[in-house]
Amino acid sequence: MSERMSNEAVVERGLDALGASGVGAGEVFLKEARSGSVEIKDGAVENVIARGERGIGVRILDAQRLGFAHSSDLSEEGIVACVEQAKRMSGVTEPDADLGLATRPLDDVDLDIFQRGLEDRAVGEFADVALAVEAAARQADPRVTHFRKTTASHAVASTIIATTTGVRATYRESYTGAMTSAIATEGGERQIGYHGEAARRFGELDPARIGRRAAERATDKLGPKPFKTQKLPIVLDPWMAMDLLRAIAPLFSADNVLKGRSLFAGKVGQRVANEKVTIVDDARRPQGLRSAPFDGEGVATTTRTLVEAGVLRGYLTSLKTARKMKVEPTGNARRGGYGSPSRIGPSNYFMAAGTDDAAALTNALDRALAITSLLNLHTIDPVSGEFSLGATGNYLERGARAFPVQGITVAGNLTHLLNAIVGVGTDLVFGPGGLGSPTLLISELSIGGA
Amino acid sequence: MSARDAEHALRTALSRGGEWAELFWERHQTLQIVFDDGRVEDAISGVDQGAGIRVTSGERTTYANGNVADADDLIALAGRAARGVEEGGELHDATSVVPDEVAGHSTVAIDPRDVPVGRKVTLLRRADAVARGLDPRIQQVTATYAESIQDVVVANSDGLFRTDRRVRLNLAIHVVARAGEVLESGFESLRGTNGFEMLTDEAVAEAARMAARRAVLNVGAEAAPAGTYTVVLSSEAGGTLIHESVGHGLEADLNLKGLSVYSGRIGEKVASDLITVIDDGTDPDKRGTAAIDDEGTPTHRTVLIEKGVLRSYLSDRKHAEKLGIARSGNARRESFRFLPICRMTNTMIAPGTSDPAEIVRSVKDGIFVKKMGGGQVDVVSGNFAFEITECYRIRDGKLAEPLRGATLVGQGPKLMSEIDMVGSDLGYSTGTCGKDGQGAPVADAQPTIRIPSVVVGGKLK
Repeated sequence: MSERMSNEAVVERGLDALGASGVGAGEVFLKEARSGSVEIKDGAVENVIARGERGIGVRILDAQRLGFAHSSDLSEEGIVACVEQAKRMSGVTEPDADLGLATRPLDDVDLDIFQRGLEDRAVGEFADVALAVEAAARQADPRVTHFRKTTASHAVASTIIATTTGVRATYRESYTGAMTSAIATEGGERQIGYHGEAARRFGELDPARIGRRAAERATDKLGPKPFKTQKLPIVLDPWMAMDLLRAIAPLFSADNVLKGRSLFAGKVGQRVANEKVTIVDDARRPQGLRSAPFDGEGVATTTRTLVEAGVLRGYLTSLKTARKMKVEPTGNARRGGYGSPSRIGPSNYFMAAGTDDAAALTNALDRALAITSLLNLHTIDPVSGEFSLGATGNYLERGARAFPVQGITVAGNLTHLLNAIVGVGTDLVFGPGGLGSPTLLISELSIGGA
Repeated sequence: MSARDAEHALRTALSRGGEWAELFWERHQTLQIVFDDGRVEDAISGVDQGAGIRVTSGERTTYANGNVADADDLIALAGRAARGVEEGGELHDATSVVPDEVAGHSTVAIDPRDVPVGRKVTLLRRADAVARGLDPRIQQVTATYAESIQDVVVANSDGLFRTDRRVRLNLAIHVVARAGEVLESGFESLRGTNGFEMLTDEAVAEAARMAARRAVLNVGAEAAPAGTYTVVLSSEAGGTLIHESVGHGLEADLNLKGLSVYSGRIGEKVASDLITVIDDGTDPDKRGTAAIDDEGTPTHRTVLIEKGVLRSYLSDRKHAEKLGIARSGNARRESFRFLPICRMTNTMIAPGTSDPAEIVRSVKDGIFVKKMGGGQVDVVSGNFAFEITECYRIRDGKLAEPLRGATLVGQGPKLMSEIDMVGSDLGYSTGTCGKDGQGAPVADAQPTIRIPSVVVGGKLK
């Protein structure tokens, strides 16, 4: 068998090759991951997937020109070829005086994001999680008759970054998640309800809650009535609110701000949201699903308040954009894997808990619409902030559910939406992807229907 | 990856039990150049090589996958797949694999890897210049060039051994226009399973003009209204409608579970007589085209709905067998990291007989959709939504003011039954379809059509 170098040795060879190639500076990023998933069908295991991956991404900064190459061929020759390719790529790009590699030593911080041995657990343990999800969904409501897909998954990964400018650091992380799409049937009608959750440790996942929530999502939609085109107050439960919060994230990107693609450009210190709104990005949240000690460029991560009581406090930055803005880098150059270059994005990104009782928010309203699912979230344009989405919901009168609605649209603009958040619940919940939100009340949105 | 290597891996995969084994091997070379903010900002090159080995044993499938550099890595991977099989079953041996050739449907006159990188940069620079030159309100342009050369080998214990090379190009232009406090974007792309010859100077300049024109148009447009309207979808709008409203609902995996609104309805009327829907993985040079699917089945032209009657589903090996239908060559996977799933290739509504201009003239008050963006469907209820990136009001049979921020929502079978005019033209669009966490390159097409009444999502004054 081909000799398998250790991760440390691979990075060492990468640095050697960088030294030998005569370039100004360079960086080697290595990621090794072992992951797996179990999918069940009709009470038995249907698919078992096991994945092992390892590769490097090499960035070269030569005469202020950046080149990037990645490879999963980690033989001696493969590593040298990857460095050579990155060097060729640096000859393609144009210089930018503000480009730079990380130079500051990293602090030693334990974020409690790794559970040893997670990847060695038996397939049966993950199958049991998936089975428990389905059992809870069926138990929650007898109208739950089928499942589109129920999966329990896990991953364990090691990340190493090393630069010729002196930064060298590593961390390990683990992840486990479960999700299901439950189908509720009544008469000739069928409705689907999705829910998924994730955690850093095996025991922290609550299969029963996942199943119950999916069942509720599906049964909530049964028996929809036509709904008139109108304007109404909108209630977003924490999970629905997270979807809209995610769509707002690109507005905080310093790259978008600098390039004229963000409605938040030039707004630091100004009101951009209702005073009830506080938005935080916290890469150091213990056990956070997006917690990491350093970002994809080897810069220490931070905890930051982006919007404080409605006022914009700052942006998410990388090394280059921080230099252009003459601010400290925030460690938000996120990297999906060894094959993707870093892009500015949030870590554990959430709307802080407010002071309103979630139930009381809707009880006070004569009429409102509580959103139960949104279609087409991926088409929200962060540049214009415009959104127009397919939706299902529960029509509420004095907080009580009158009937479900389907085949409607909700439309608005993200900047207006932030200003229209007139109620923020105390019930902050964190979901997959490090997102978090309490229940939100939006004063009014346009609803398209009959 | 030789036939001998594949045989060895398949034997190893079946060494502890299981009825059937398959090897999917892939080498994926990519190059991406990003021209943003007036300069070449990123140049990214990579090689992703790996394999996935699947063993089926009763109702259970084990899939081991990972990066592989050589034959030894492959055997180690096959061993991992074998260890996932519950022991005790009868042992089956793999037959010897017999390589055969399946003819492709794409031309690659110029391999993009043979084109100097400077030429690719020149195209991006030109796109940037053309877009910026169109209007002073344009404040940002991002032009991206991406080439993808995916070599695959599929072999299985039935003796199959097939290879395919998919050369795909994607040149995308994103433009931002600004008027006061309002920002809007415009997008256009050139994408195909095709050689570098598809990216002519003229084609790139035209795409840049389209993206820039759309951004400028939207920045000055009024907000679309909300409510129910008569809508004409231009053939230029592309085929997101058919992809979302019908295509996903015809995937065999959902139908085997009985979960789609189209389940158990083969032979039944599910759309207007005017509607014929085809999925065609052999459509020359299109984004969803390949010689074989990712299980080695030759791609196919499948009539899904014929004059309103449901004829077939989009199937992979497993679901074709369970449903007792022919394999349609629609088993696709994003990479070796995933099991294949049933999905579309190039999907279209076939042209009809109405004059497209007449369709617009027939509408007294409605909305004309000139370009669609992304969409999503809930296949269980059939409810879908898709984004509109360019549209106009129709007044007295003529196009009037542009509108922005619109979406269309409806229910697949209902909407398909209501379409009352189908044009004689045909227009394509391209996209990346997402399903179960996997992306797949697709194309969609449709003629100009009229929908008498559909919900348009916009804003109320």
